[in-house]
Amino acid sequence: MKRIFTILLQSLLLVALTFMVAAGQEEKIEETYSVWIGSSYTDFTDYTKKIGEFRNGDDEFLPEFSIDYLSRGINHIFSLNGKYRDENNIIADMSSKIGDGFSADFKYRSMFKQAGQDMLANLETREAGGGKMLTHEILDPGADYYVHRKEIESSFNLRLSKKNNIRLIAAHRTVLQTGIEQHIASSHCFSCHLTSSTATIDKITHQIMAGLQADLGKNTVGYQFGYRIFESEAPVNVADFDDAIHPVFGTKGAEFGSRMIYEDVTLPVGEYPNTEKLSHKLTFKGDAGKSSYGSSISYSKATNKNNDLSSTALSGSAFYATSLADLTRLIARFSVARLDVESTFVDLPLYRDGRPGTPKDFDFTRYSSLNRLDLRGSVEVISRLNKRLTASFSTGIRLVDREYYPADDADATTTFFGQAKVRYRKGMRYSTSVKYRFESSSNPFTSARGLFEARGRSILNSVDGTAFVYYWQREDLRYQDITTVPTQAHILDVTSSWRPNNKVNLNVGFKAKYDKNDNLDSLDISHFSMQPSLALNVNIDPKWTVSAGGSYAFKKSRGPVTIALFDG
Amino acid sequence: MKKQARPHSFLFGVFGVTLSCVFVLFTSLVMAKTPPADAVPVGNSVCLDCHDDVGIDFAKTMHGTLLNKVSDNSCESCHGPGSAHVENEDPDMIINPARQNQFDGKSTCLSCHNTDNFSNWAMADHNAADMNCSSCHTIHSDDVAWTSGKINNLCTECHLDVKASAFMPSHHPLKEGNMSCLDCHDPHGGGATFAHESSIRELCFSCHPEKEGPFIFEHAPVNEDCMLCHSPHGTVADNLLTQTEPALCLNCHSMHFHAAIEGWDGAFTTPQAPERAGTTTADGWKEGMLTKCSQCHTEIHGTDLPSQTISTSGNALTR
Repeated sequence: MKRIFTILLQSLLLVALTFMVAAGQEEKIEETYSVWIGSSYTDFTDYTKKIGEFRNGDDEFLPEFSIDYLSRGINHIFSLNGKYRDENNIIADMSSKIGDGFSADFKYRSMFKQAGQDMLANLETREAGGGKMLTHEILDPGADYYVHRKEIESSFNLRLSKKNNIRLIAAHRTVLQTGIEQHIASSHCFSCHLTSSTATIDKITHQIMAGLQADLGKNTVGYQFGYRIFESEAPVNVADFDDAIHPVFGTKGAEFGSRMIYEDVTLPVGEYPNTEKLSHKLTFKGDAGKSSYGSSISYSKATNKNNDLSSTALSGSAFYATSLADLTRLIARFSVARLDVESTFVDLPLYRDGRPGTPKDFDFTRYSSLNRLDLRGSVEVISRLNKRLTASFSTGIRLVDREYYPADDADATTTFFGQAKVRYRKGMRYSTSVKYRFESSSNPFTSARGLFEARGRSILNSVDGTAFVYYWQREDLRYQDITTVPTQAHILDVTSSWRPNNKVNLNVGFKAKYDKNDNLDSLDISHFSMQPSLALNVNIDPKWTVSAGGSYAFKKSRGPVTIALFDG
Repeated sequence: MKKQARPHSFLFGVFGVTLSCVFVLFTSLVMAKTPPADAVPVGNSVCLDCHDDVGIDFAKTMHGTLLNKVSDNSCESCHGPGSAHVENEDPDMIINPARQNQFDGKSTCLSCHNTDNFSNWAMADHNAADMNCSSCHTIHSDDVAWTSGKINNLCTECHLDVKASAFMPSHHPLKEGNMSCLDCHDPHGGGATFAHESSIRELCFSCHPEKEGPFIFEHAPVNEDCMLCHSPHGTVADNLLTQTEPALCLNCHSMHFHAAIEGWDGAFTTPQAPERAGTTTADGWKEGMLTKCSQCHTEIHGTDLPSQTISTSGNALTR
């Protein structure tokens, strides 16, 4: 906590100093403020806590306090907006600007995320005939799990020189996550036993970005450096792993133990590795006549410090926007990225070492599924057909060539898209747009060998020296690639807006999407969704807005739920 | 999976290029009108003769405060010289920034607001959608307090589906005001401050760095696209998952082969663990294994710690 308060204090001082310097130099032209003091009460009777619930109250009256302050001079502006609901829910924004030479922003967010406790009641069961079983154990049944996230962000923009508009840009963010979470560890054999325990959360993330930019004629060049460090300072959570024996009869310890990497031991679980990431980015943007262009090159390296494992990303992008005619524009975009993760060798004990038959070696080199070349390009043409009608058409391609892709026939994924949009606009009062998008992919991302497709026992032979067929042999029968990613998608988006005057705004929308993949051998997938919506906003005056709206979402999926084709 | 060539993709590209050419040829000659070249400034007092209602509100704004201090032509700082408009009372004879769009060259606003924040406006989706600064910003009345909650309300005036999604049981805390749309999106066409590359993965990891790794044991979809499993604006399923478990997982993985068989109708009588005795039902095993895959596979985003069995190469993401 010391660190966050130190950072908080430093940021506050800098912003406050900026404000004071500016305010002291000149007369305030306007100074406004508003204060709200109130209270809120939330009844949690019959309320079930669940994951993802942002707690905004409790079973007691809580004070609420908010403040808005604004100070303006001829050359400065300072604003403060803050809201306090309880000690865990605080929002504060401060912004300060002096002329065109310096600006600073500061944000503080504190929020509380409630997490439910999984009582694992479904995990006490046994196979027919008194066979394999599943048991569970809750070590901390009364725990109230939560995450308290605190975030401080500050950014600064300082003009170093009027000549060439040389600017220093810097930003900083610290995120603290504290709390307790449920952690479940599973132990094989003995019984399939799950143990739920309470783990402490104490994560901290620091991010900084610093850069320079300068104008060179009509062009702007810039450089940015980024650095991020993530650390978990919580004590490592541990779990007990049983001595492996037959789950029903309690015998054959040597046989079952020879199939385990570890047994009868207490080990860390759910460990977050400390990581760091640094990046460099060069940007170039400019205008020439009716054209705008820009490009960037970036390099980043993320490192898992616990295992000295790194990933790198080298990417470049460019855009060009120009007028083809008086009322026709073209926008072209292109990007390329090369992503690599170091491979790592996983050394495992021999499977069934010392048991009858030949032991099997499951050592392997982990080549990352991230390694790839990612290319994207698109062109958009926008044309005003007449005073009220604008039409646009865009098309593009994306190619993802994965280096280590375990799927059969591992061609690159190629996706084409096309989009047409027509917009009708009548003055400032009424507008309607209709957009249709079509996407077509070949070889979309698949879960390689995720699916069984044949009965196993009849085609499997027992391992030499034994009379048994083992699970790993059955795993090898997974040869069917499977995916939820469609090969075709159709998207329709209609929006309409009506503003009879400056105070009333009525919006109507309709979105629909249909996609499918019928290239699968046996399991076609398709998804359909639609969502009509309606919203009315009435701005009675700058301080009062009445909003009302409704939306209906319908989603339907047709896809595989894979089932086992043989028992264990 | 069958691997098929897709000839319609090529045809689609040809269709696109053809349609683009048609657009160019079909372009009409309707131009936005601007003040005649010989128009001259008339000063605020002349403007306020007719637009006094605008002037009262404008004087209270940031623009009004600044411009009125330094010039008597503050209206014409943005609207251009007004003499022709005054003489003819023709609204087309004066610049109206609120009517400017992507075809009118550089926006009047950008001539002053020329920092890096706005340098991508030429390629911004909002610009391409024929929006302009006035679509979101009010110039003639005071609207300075751009707090998170107000920004979110502004964005969702148009993005209604997003607003609805934020009311789903699992959602990012947009409606609570703890997040802003601007944390992930830049309406002016730029990128998020702390995302280094232009990818959805990178954007997600800028706030959730513990998920990035790199890890020894990976889950391929995490490397592919977060959106394969998550929908960021809001979902019915917990943790922003697009479907509930285990249906989501079973879209890509066969379930454990124990799972589809009948359960035991009776009590546990485990000789080695009597304290773990319980009861079950004939459907119990199916119920147990069809609930949530992440109850056992807790480290679904990746881990450095091997799972217990050798035959899965420690790759089961359970530890």
